[in-house]
Amino acid sequence: MRPERLLALGWGVVAVACTACLWDNGAAPLPDGGAGPQPILVASVPIIPAAYGIHDTFVRDGLVFVCAWNAGVMIYDVGNGISGGSPSNPQLISTFVTAGGEAHNAWWLWNPNTGEKTYLFVGQEGAGTLGSSSSGDIHVLDVSDLRHPSEVASFHLAGAGTHNFWMDESAQILYAAYYNEGVVALDVSGTLSGDLSTRLIGGIRPGGTGDTYVWGVQLYNGSLYAIDMLSGLWQLGFAAGTFSVQGGGNNVPERYSSDLAVANGFAYTGTWGSGRTTGVPGNVVKVWKFDPSGKPALQDSIVTPGIGTVSDVKVSPDGKLLMFSAEPRGPSAGFWFYRLQDPANPTFIAKYLVPDGVHTAKFATIGGRLYAFGAKDPSLPALLILDVTDLDR
Amino acid sequence: MVIRFLALALLGAWAPLAPLPAQRGWTARLSGQGILVYTHVDPIPGGGTLSEGRLVQPILMLDLGALRQHLSLHTTADFEGWTMPHGELAPGAWGEGYVDRRHPHTYVHELMVSAADVFGRLDGAARTTLAVGKGFVPFGTDDPMSRPVERYPVNHHLSQILERALLMAAVQVDRLTLEGALFNGDEPENPGQAPNLERFGDSWSARLTLRPAAGFEYQVSTADVFSPESRVGAGTDARKWSTSLRAERRAGSVSWYGLAEWARTSEAGGVFIFHSLLAEGVARVGRHHSYYRFERTERPEDMRTLDPFRNVRPLVDNSILGIDRWSIHTVGYGVRVGAQSSPVELRPFAEGSYGRIARVGGGLFDPATFYGRDSFWSVTVGVRAGWGLRGHRMGHYGVPMETMETMETMDHAP
Repeated sequence: MRPERLLALGWGVVAVACTACLWDNGAAPLPDGGAGPQPILVASVPIIPAAYGIHDTFVRDGLVFVCAWNAGVMIYDVGNGISGGSPSNPQLISTFVTAGGEAHNAWWLWNPNTGEKTYLFVGQEGAGTLGSSSSGDIHVLDVSDLRHPSEVASFHLAGAGTHNFWMDESAQILYAAYYNEGVVALDVSGTLSGDLSTRLIGGIRPGGTGDTYVWGVQLYNGSLYAIDMLSGLWQLGFAAGTFSVQGGGNNVPERYSSDLAVANGFAYTGTWGSGRTTGVPGNVVKVWKFDPSGKPALQDSIVTPGIGTVSDVKVSPDGKLLMFSAEPRGPSAGFWFYRLQDPANPTFIAKYLVPDGVHTAKFATIGGRLYAFGAKDPSLPALLILDVTDLDR
Repeated sequence: MVIRFLALALLGAWAPLAPLPAQRGWTARLSGQGILVYTHVDPIPGGGTLSEGRLVQPILMLDLGALRQHLSLHTTADFEGWTMPHGELAPGAWGEGYVDRRHPHTYVHELMVSAADVFGRLDGAARTTLAVGKGFVPFGTDDPMSRPVERYPVNHHLSQILERALLMAAVQVDRLTLEGALFNGDEPENPGQAPNLERFGDSWSARLTLRPAAGFEYQVSTADVFSPESRVGAGTDARKWSTSLRAERRAGSVSWYGLAEWARTSEAGGVFIFHSLLAEGVARVGRHHSYYRFERTERPEDMRTLDPFRNVRPLVDNSILGIDRWSIHTVGYGVRVGAQSSPVELRPFAEGSYGRIARVGGGLFDPATFYGRDSFWSVTVGVRAGWGLRGHRMGHYGVPMETMETMETMDHAP
């Protein structure tokens, strides 16, 4: 569906959906979908205390780092073996509360040069006004002993707060979305300790001052793709400590953008909330095709009636499956899955509805099977784990 | 729903029998009110108009007194959770997960035990009150339910703190009253929810009231409220200030009332600051009264659910979408009908509001886009029925309540 066709959708659709949502009691998530393979819920792990629930998760090597706001970063074994956990039986290894709390997202750095797996980078999402201001630091934990993490370093940027990360592990550069400060690059090589302000090696506000509020970044084929809530999808370059705009930008005028996923020469970006165009909700995933130089051009859009925000977008490691999470609370909130046999035209395959909403979703392969990890929204926040192996075949 | 209305009707039929005569040193008084309204609003969120009828502010109050009023129990049952579960149409209103609709209050609106003048002559000329229970925190101005305008002001959550579990003390010396309270910071999430007692004492307030002359009252108050919007305590804190001047006088055949107030709430250590300025007045001649209110209040914009009149609750983070300023003029006229001696007051009224909405600072929220334009108007016609509420000012307990100037011009007073 082309974007201009979307403008006809509005509160009429939302109002119909809303009638049910007001009376929904937020009970346990129910599987839903058409014929064919379906996601299978294998675990639902309540997060206690429930303060703001879970924001993001980072899954690697059979470990899940659950960013549970003021409850801290919770490390679960879901197949690593350290505590006998599995996807269907996650085992809590440890919990660490970063300075200031508000743990939002994480990235566990594996240094391919040294083999070290010492540092976990945690993003703090502080108070801010979306689209305008933000706060929150990057906290670095030493997780070499997973049972006893400790905070060893932090990075503060005056006037802005961090959001999602992407790591160039071979170059040991952390690219952090930094909302109103755009994108920031940090040198995270060597030993990290104390104040990391000297590790700042570059930054860019792709939309310019006042029109930049970057949600997420992803490195792909030598370009850094940044999704800006205000100014859309950008292709950036980074060389010798300097960012440059290579393409894209100012290409999502009717909605605010949210997350992104890049794979197969395509980018998939979400949309957020309402209010950019009267009566138009953020219920769209945009499909972008890259030209040979990596510049994005809008190819298609996936519209999901009955949702208000596409809160996370991910592509499976093999590039065959597109997943996005949807909120807020409502009859169509939850996980949505699309097959990427034709990356330009994703085809719906299944959904897993979670009436309370899912804030973030991540793929991970564990023991040869593909799982989706989701953060179920409060009031009863939980880490949801779906076996989606059959969807990926 | 039918059963609920029948229950309300039965209670209403019995209520005019109050106040009951004092027996063996005990006194009992039953009072109540309800307002049937029909409201039209243009525009609503997303554009367009909406009209609807509601029974709002249906309350019953029971006051029991003993020991010559030294010990009292004040209870208020509020049935808005039954009669307006989705809120009352009111552009600009916000709080407790509702937006552009005024939220229903909790069924147990007040349940306060007060001991007045507990030290007798031991504290000299001072009169000390201790009170405990669920009710209004000593902060800010009178609750809008006991003020003349039917439409709640936008600043309700900046200028009042209510429905908390509190322990309060008040000391009155001559024309000066100092009140202080400890309470739970969390606000209710639904009409049936009780205060989170595990959080009792995480918040405090203080209010100083001066009555410099008959009919005049000045107050200044402050409060530190821990995580009001997150019941589990994960939200941002609010530091609040309020000051106001209230006057009530009679000049010839005209009795009048006026209130001017200023309020400020700072959240998240000053990241978000909201101001309010409000002035309202009533003039009453015989059966007729007319009133006017102007307010200029800033409110936060949170992410909305699929229902554009609701915010996402529980909150998922500490960010907002922006701040907007509502500047609203409201005028109204009411007339009392029926016999002057009747304990039941019936007062048909009509009131209209016109307001403008402006952005304050940056953020994703643009009112002109969200509503389709940056102004609104609304009209409400209705009938207020009340009995036994003469002079009652909600939110004051013990000696402070006894010494309150009663407001003959207010809608509670026939």
